[in-house]
Amino acid sequence: MSSPCSYCNKTSFIRDDVSGELICSSCGGIQQFDQFDAQIGAIDGPQGTFIRVGTAGSGSLYSYKDRKLFAAQTTIEEVTYTLGLSSKSVDVRSMASTITEGEFGQGEWFRVLIGACAYVVMRREDRPLSMAEVASAVGCDLYEIGRMILRVVDFLNLRSDFPEFDIVHSLERTIKNSRIFASLDRGVIDRIRKQGVFLIQCAVKWFLSTGRRPLPLVVAVVVFVAELNGIAVEMEELAREVHAKVSTCTTRYKELLETLVKVAQVLPWGKDVTVKNIVKNAPFVIQYLERKAMLKPGVIQEKRKDLHRAAVDLEDVVAECLRHDDELEYGVDGVTSPKDLQYFLSESKANRLGVGDADRLQVSPECLSVLYKKFLDENRCAEPLRGSGNARKRRSFGFDLQQCTEWWDGKSELSKKLLLKHLLEKDIGVETMPPSFVNGQLKCKMRQERINAAKLRIKRIMHPLGAEIPGPSHSSCPERRKRKGMVVDDVDWEDLVIETLVLHQVKDEEIETGHYNTLLDLHVFNSGIV
Amino acid sequence: MADQGLEGSQPVDLQKHPSGIVPTLQNIVSTVNLDCKLDLKTIALQARNAEYNPKRFAAVIMRIRDPKTTALIFASGKMVCTGAKSEQQSKLAARKYARIIQKLGFPAKFKDFKIQNIVGSCDVKFPIRLEGLAYSHGAFSSYEPELFPGLIYRMKQPKIVLLIFVSGKIVLTGAKVRDETYTAFENIYPVLTEFRKNQQCH
Repeated sequence: MSSPCSYCNKTSFIRDDVSGELICSSCGGIQQFDQFDAQIGAIDGPQGTFIRVGTAGSGSLYSYKDRKLFAAQTTIEEVTYTLGLSSKSVDVRSMASTITEGEFGQGEWFRVLIGACAYVVMRREDRPLSMAEVASAVGCDLYEIGRMILRVVDFLNLRSDFPEFDIVHSLERTIKNSRIFASLDRGVIDRIRKQGVFLIQCAVKWFLSTGRRPLPLVVAVVVFVAELNGIAVEMEELAREVHAKVSTCTTRYKELLETLVKVAQVLPWGKDVTVKNIVKNAPFVIQYLERKAMLKPGVIQEKRKDLHRAAVDLEDVVAECLRHDDELEYGVDGVTSPKDLQYFLSESKANRLGVGDADRLQVSPECLSVLYKKFLDENRCAEPLRGSGNARKRRSFGFDLQQCTEWWDGKSELSKKLLLKHLLEKDIGVETMPPSFVNGQLKCKMRQERINAAKLRIKRIMHPLGAEIPGPSHSSCPERRKRKGMVVDDVDWEDLVIETLVLHQVKDEEIETGHYNTLLDLHVFNSGIV
Repeated sequence: MADQGLEGSQPVDLQKHPSGIVPTLQNIVSTVNLDCKLDLKTIALQARNAEYNPKRFAAVIMRIRDPKTTALIFASGKMVCTGAKSEQQSKLAARKYARIIQKLGFPAKFKDFKIQNIVGSCDVKFPIRLEGLAYSHGAFSSYEPELFPGLIYRMKQPKIVLLIFVSGKIVLTGAKVRDETYTAFENIYPVLTEFRKNQQCH
């Protein structure tokens, strides 16, 4: 108490325990009420003037708007921190401010807006986050954040120069951030990254990414590449880390394997490659792709000429090598690859054979494949080693991936990030069709078969005596086995619909599209025609 | 019926469809004003083909078999008819619904019939590089594979939205007359061939 007694000007006081009032110890006068006490945090709570914050109406010093802005700033910082973009919080803030005209906002929608702004900011810098990640950071549905992102893009008129989702960056980011790879050597991670980038760009070329969510493919590629490098990665774990569905990742992984098997068909031992042994053969497939990608279109012809010159040497070499009891090592498992031959030559036999000039042995994949076949023709003894009967031997040999680390060059441009345009122009030797397209074609074919069968049935009914008409064919596609519903005489509902449509002279091409309801409405129940 | 069947087997008019592909109409949405206030509960109780759940949706949902369509009938007397495969079918269906309402004792008229939306689809039979299309037609297209597998192309003239899928299947929506659908497809077809995947295999 600093002021003296208002009655006697003495400065000694006692506090009355019951009323809590201050009483002058000399005159006994009760002092004026002075004991404004905030009572926050009990006796040792904060000192000083208490200002009430957080209620509307008179008495509060902060207005609603100030508090809203303050809360908004906190939210922005919290969301950007969760996403690991604290350095970008200024950009996110300014974008949110532009959109809300400086008003910001409160509530769940504002968090979603912040998430959307963060996504847009990062994507404009070509370092996109995934929507799934943002959605989980913000705590909303993927589609909710997606809608908001599209609204932000439209509002800011970014549509025309909004970069596409960069799947390669997404892969690099996944490898960088994943806890699974945290403990690995940097060199190994870099190698995995480069191989991953190479393979994912190939996958983009093979239509594995078009029209699909990018993250499951990223997971599939990372798992595959890690496997190639002898690192076991749990797909579930990685999928969880990047917020992807495990089942989709598995599907993409299967597709990737199947495509690689397809690609492997260009190798001389391609027929032996299946989904089961593709991981072992993958180094050669990738090598083939890599070499193919490195060839410039104009140069190919020229190189091939060179190769023909080198061919004679190689043939001798191959023949000689195999005669040196190395058959099992190089013949079994079909692991003789273009690159292997080259190493073989330049490392062990080069001096003896006098083929020191490795440059001359720049072998094109096609040429090698021809060579290999020719060689097999001439050396029948090697032939039995290729058959499927070698499965046991193969297993016993145990192909050690660590032994052939040389298969990976990483020199091709495809192991760096390429612009989409350049990527699409690149020729990696093997072109595949998108799975949905292939399925569509198959369905079409199946319908075509059914149309033909329906026509045959109709014919048989119309000309019961026609002996030349063959009976129902049972050699149709395997899908027939999976039919649902009632099947009588190998005819199900779909056959009957097709039969009806054929009877109403609907064009085959129209039936092949499979829009049965529409066609029935238009051509069979055509009551709409007034 | 036979005449209609023959119509299906006519060759494609290449003047009108230079691509040789005619989009199939899959759905027509039309509206009509019955021009009288309706008591939805009465309708729901009297008509066998009607369902009405005011807690879920403030309209009677009525279905007929021929043409196979569904109508939403509102208390204001406005009606929406969906599911028809041609304009005539849609109109006929709307008339049938109006007749049903009349039979239930309401003075229903048939005013301002209008086709609101036509949805068509077709297959160009070659795969499409959606990334390339999105890149070069960025101003019109939205391709977000994280959200939707197709590319959404908003054509300005005619004002039609196209969903383009990698498999070569196309959906066209937003047309008020069927020619808009056809024009939109003929406009987009050359663009698609540009981004067609080369079908050669090694």
